[in-house]
Amino acid sequence: MNLLPAFEWLEASPIGVFVKDKAATFAIIEAVHLIALALLGAAVLSADLRLLNVVMRDVPSNSVTDQAHRWFKLALLVLLVTGFFMLAGVATKCYHNPFYWAKMITLGIGIVFVFAIRAPLLRKPHAELRPLTLRLMALASMTIWFIVASSGRWIGFSG
Amino acid sequence: MLNTWLLRIAEWIGATDFSVGLHESYYMYAWIESIHVITLMISLGMLIIIDLRMLGLWLTSVPASKIAERLDRPMLIGFSIMVVTGVLLYLGIPIRTTQSLWFRIKVILLVVAFINAWLFRRHMQQSAGSWDVAAVPPRRTRIAAALSLTLWAAVVMCGRFIAYDWFDCGQDNSAFIDWAAGCVAG
Repeated sequence: MNLLPAFEWLEASPIGVFVKDKAATFAIIEAVHLIALALLGAAVLSADLRLLNVVMRDVPSNSVTDQAHRWFKLALLVLLVTGFFMLAGVATKCYHNPFYWAKMITLGIGIVFVFAIRAPLLRKPHAELRPLTLRLMALASMTIWFIVASSGRWIGFSG
Repeated sequence: MLNTWLLRIAEWIGATDFSVGLHESYYMYAWIESIHVITLMISLGMLIIIDLRMLGLWLTSVPASKIAERLDRPMLIGFSIMVVTGVLLYLGIPIRTTQSLWFRIKVILLVVAFINAWLFRRHMQQSAGSWDVAAVPPRRTRIAAALSLTLWAAVVMCGRFIAYDWFDCGQDNSAFIDWAAGCVAG
């Protein structure tokens, strides 16, 4: 399946034109994307580092991960929306960029991992889960989001 | 006068082997920049949790001072990495950064954010006993937290804008922009 026409269409669409029209538009969207990345970091790292017993050891881990998940959803939403706008501005460039695809694949894995595996499991009382499961899940989660964020940064370097 | 001195210092740094090597090493520079960006997730990540707790929006069942104390160390580790990588980024491109309007605004905002954080810490140590367990802290605390979040969002924005050449010296800028960016003849 050739996706290039879809990317070309997106870049020529009113959204693509809007984003490309002024350099400042793209830059502002990019900055909001980064601010949401910090919020995603807050949600992911507070939960994962708690599960690894690195921070907030005396705060119940169930409440840490519950709260973190709420903010995670907000951060992800902002990242997806701003990310889509950024893509629209440089869609054909992204299509030919291996880091864009690396990011999208990891992002897809990350979203499935969070909503299909991680969140349902962490809703249970953590004392009932095996400590190793919790730790491995925290490590997997941090690895996934690190790859998403760093390959995202690298789209700009290799474009 | 000040701008001439700053430019002289930047020119001296820019001529060192270290700065040239950093600038010309594609992967080193890109990695330092990537680490600087990704460490946002630790430094500002922890800061956001503390500030949202102070706004009564995150982990309200836990005493505010407990959150601030427990996340203090990871936050400071994050900020240490930010400072080291930030200084390296400056050393790699000293002249252009010295004359960057956005870099200058960012430095001023950082100073204001640090003063706010310092005052806030003092205020918390003195008065936390009275509102520590409250789900929503008093108005003064919430204003400081909102100010902190706003300042740091602006810092991120200015940091990102440094990469753009909109107001670089030598372009058709207004006299005010040239003055603010510190454009002086090299």
